[in-house]
Amino acid sequence: MSAWGYGATRLIGVLVLLAGCAGSPGEGEPVTLVFKYARILGNADPLPTLLREFEAQHPGVRVKGEAMPWTSDDQHQFYVINLEGRSPGFDVLMLDCIWTPEFARAGWLLDLTPYLQPGELAPFFPSTVASATYDHRVWALPWNMNVGLLFYRTDLLAKYGLQPPDTYEALVEQARLIRGRERDPALDGYLWQGKQYEGLVVNVLEALWANGAPLITDDGAVFPEPARAADALRFLRGLITSGVSPTWTTAADEELSRRAFGDGHAIFLRNWPYARDLFESEGSAVRDKVAFTAIPGRARGEPGAGSTGGAHLGVSRRSRHPELAVALARHLTSERAQRAIALGAALSPSRQALYHDPELVRRNPAMPRLHALALAGRPRPITPYYLLVSATVQPEFSAALVGVKPPERAIDDARARLGHFLGALR
Amino acid sequence: MLLLAPTALALGALTVYPGAWVLWLSLQHRIPIFGVARFAGLDNFTFLSVDARFWSAAHTTAVFTVASVALEVVLGVGAALAIHTQRRGRAVALSFLLLAWAMPAVVAAKLFEWLYHPVAGLINVALGRHALNWLGDPAIALAAVTLADVWRTMPFVAILCYARLLAIPPDLYEAAQVDGAGRLATLTRITLPLLGRILLLAVLFRTLDALRAFDIMFVLTGGGPANTTETLTVYAYRALFQTLQLGFGSALSVVVFALVMVVAWAYLRLLRAGSVAA
Repeated sequence: MSAWGYGATRLIGVLVLLAGCAGSPGEGEPVTLVFKYARILGNADPLPTLLREFEAQHPGVRVKGEAMPWTSDDQHQFYVINLEGRSPGFDVLMLDCIWTPEFARAGWLLDLTPYLQPGELAPFFPSTVASATYDHRVWALPWNMNVGLLFYRTDLLAKYGLQPPDTYEALVEQARLIRGRERDPALDGYLWQGKQYEGLVVNVLEALWANGAPLITDDGAVFPEPARAADALRFLRGLITSGVSPTWTTAADEELSRRAFGDGHAIFLRNWPYARDLFESEGSAVRDKVAFTAIPGRARGEPGAGSTGGAHLGVSRRSRHPELAVALARHLTSERAQRAIALGAALSPSRQALYHDPELVRRNPAMPRLHALALAGRPRPITPYYLLVSATVQPEFSAALVGVKPPERAIDDARARLGHFLGALR
Repeated sequence: MLLLAPTALALGALTVYPGAWVLWLSLQHRIPIFGVARFAGLDNFTFLSVDARFWSAAHTTAVFTVASVALEVVLGVGAALAIHTQRRGRAVALSFLLLAWAMPAVVAAKLFEWLYHPVAGLINVALGRHALNWLGDPAIALAAVTLADVWRTMPFVAILCYARLLAIPPDLYEAAQVDGAGRLATLTRITLPLLGRILLLAVLFRTLDALRAFDIMFVLTGGGPANTTETLTVYAYRALFQTLQLGFGSALSVVVFALVMVVAWAYLRLLRAGSVAA
C-alpha cells in the first residue's frame, strides 16, 4: 500500500473509531458485543467490573463475557472450529500470543494497524508488540505478560554465602554444594518442565538461546546451528542423569514443579511470575525464602533470557461492530484495566509503566525487578506455523531428555520432519 | 424398499458422506487456514509408510490394545466369578464396579494423574525409596497408562460376564456335582465355555475401543515421554486439530478406520463360526 493509502486508511480508521467511541450505535438498537476469554485465576475476577465500566461509557452496548475451555489446546481448537466456520459469534477474543501470526495469516483477525494512533503501542513491552505483529501489521493488543524466571531459595543460598547463579554451570555447582552439605535426601537441586508438551519447548528454547542456537530463523532456516542445539539438549539431559534435577523432571509441568518447590523440596526452579504470588501466600512453606533472577546463560555461551508468553486481545474480522470491538479491546488493555487485573489476579501487565506503579509495587515489591527481566525476555519464534513447529519438535526434545535418542539424532530428526511439513505449506 | 429409505438416508448422511469426504481429503495436501489445497495422490500415505512417528504410534496402539484387552478379560472374568460366588454384598460390589465404569475417561485420567504423582502420589508414597517415575519413564509410561485404562474398563467385561453367569441354569452345576466333577473341572468344562460367546462380544467392543484410545493418554501424558504413549488417534488429533493438516490427518484417520474395520470383520467371522459350531 502506498504511503498515502496507508495514511488515509489510518485517518479513516481513527475517524471511525472516534465515531464508534462517541455515539451510541443507532437509537433503540442495543448492540451486544461478545468477549471470549479464559477465566482469570486469583483472589477476585476483575473482569465483570471492567466490562460493566465499558457498558457505562457506551450507552446502548451490552458486553457478554463468555468463558472458554480450560486448557490452551482446547481453546485453540475452539477458535479454529469457530473462526474457520465463518460464524464466530464473538467480537473480541483473548488469544495466546503464539497464535497471533497463525490467526492473522488465516484471515481471522481484524488488522488493527489503521486504528492505532502513533505511539500507542510504545508503553508496551517491545517483545509483546513483536508477537502481536505479523507481516508489518498489528493484529492484537497485548493484554498480559509472562516471562521465564529462575526462582531460588534465598535462605539456602545465604547460608552458604552464595550469589544467585547467572550461568547454568554455576547453578549446577551451587546445587551440588548445597545438597552435599544439607544432606537432605528430599531436597532436589533444580526443577524445570520436561514433560512432552508446550512447556518443554519453552524450557528447551531457553537452553538453546543460552547456547546461541536458534530453533528457526526469520528466513525460515530450521536449527541453523545443529551442533550447538544438540549440545543444549545434552546439557539438559545431563541435569537429569547427574541428579541435579530429579528423574521425574521428564513428567513435570509448571504446577508439578511449582508445588514441589513450594513445599520446600528444591533449591532452584524455572517457572513463570505467577508462582511468586503462591510462594508468598499465607501458609506457604517457602514464604519470605524465595527470590527470582534471570534465566541463566552458559559459561561460554550467551547471557540467559527468559522466554516470554502471555495473552493478547484481538478482534474477529467478522465482527459486525469492529469499531466498538476495538474500543473494548483498548479499554481492557488500558493502564487502568491492567492495574485492576494485576491487583486482583496473578497476571503481570503488558504495559511497562505499571511495574513502577506505587500501588502495585506495594502489593508486590518485586515488580521493578520483574520489569527488567521481562524487558530482557525473548519471544518464541514468531511464525504462523508455530504450533506445527512445536508439535513436531516436542517428541524429539522429549526423546533426547529421557535418553532414548542421542541429542544429535533428535535434532536431525526434528529438522527433517519440519522440512517435510513446512515444505508442504509452500 | 421404501421402508429402508429412512435408514439408508440417515446412514448415507451421517456415515457414508463424511467417510467419503475424509477419504477424499486424505488424497490432498490441505491446510485450509493457510490456503493450501492441492491434490496429492498417495503422498500422505507414502509419507506415513516411512514415518517413524506413525510406526511408533501403530506399535503403541497394538501393544496397548493387546495388553489392556487381555488384562480386562482376565480381571473381568475373575471379578464376575468372585461376585457370583459371593453370598452377601453383591449389590455393593456391583455398584463399586459400575462406579469406575461410569466415570468419564478424563476424570479417571485425572484421578490416576494424582495416584502417579511422582512426589505426593499415593503409589509412590507407598513405594517409598523405590518410587518410580510413572509417567516420565519411557520404559513404564505405557504400562502406567494401560493400568489406568484397565481399571476403568474392566467392569464392562465383568458385568457382561456376571449377567451370563446368572443365566446359567443351576441344574448344570448340580449335574456336574453328581458326576463327581471338581471345582476346576466345573470351571473349565462348564462355566468358561458358556462364557465364551459373551466374552468374544465383550472383547470385540473393548478391542475396537482400545484401537481408538485417546483420552486417557491425552490427559495423562500427552503422548510422551518420547512419544512412547502416543496412539494413532492421538497422532491424528495433533495433525487434524492442532496443526490443522487436514489432508495428512485424514490419511491417519483412514488408516485407523481401516484397522478398526479389519479387526471388527475378523471378530465377526469368529463370532459367526462360533455360533455355527454351537
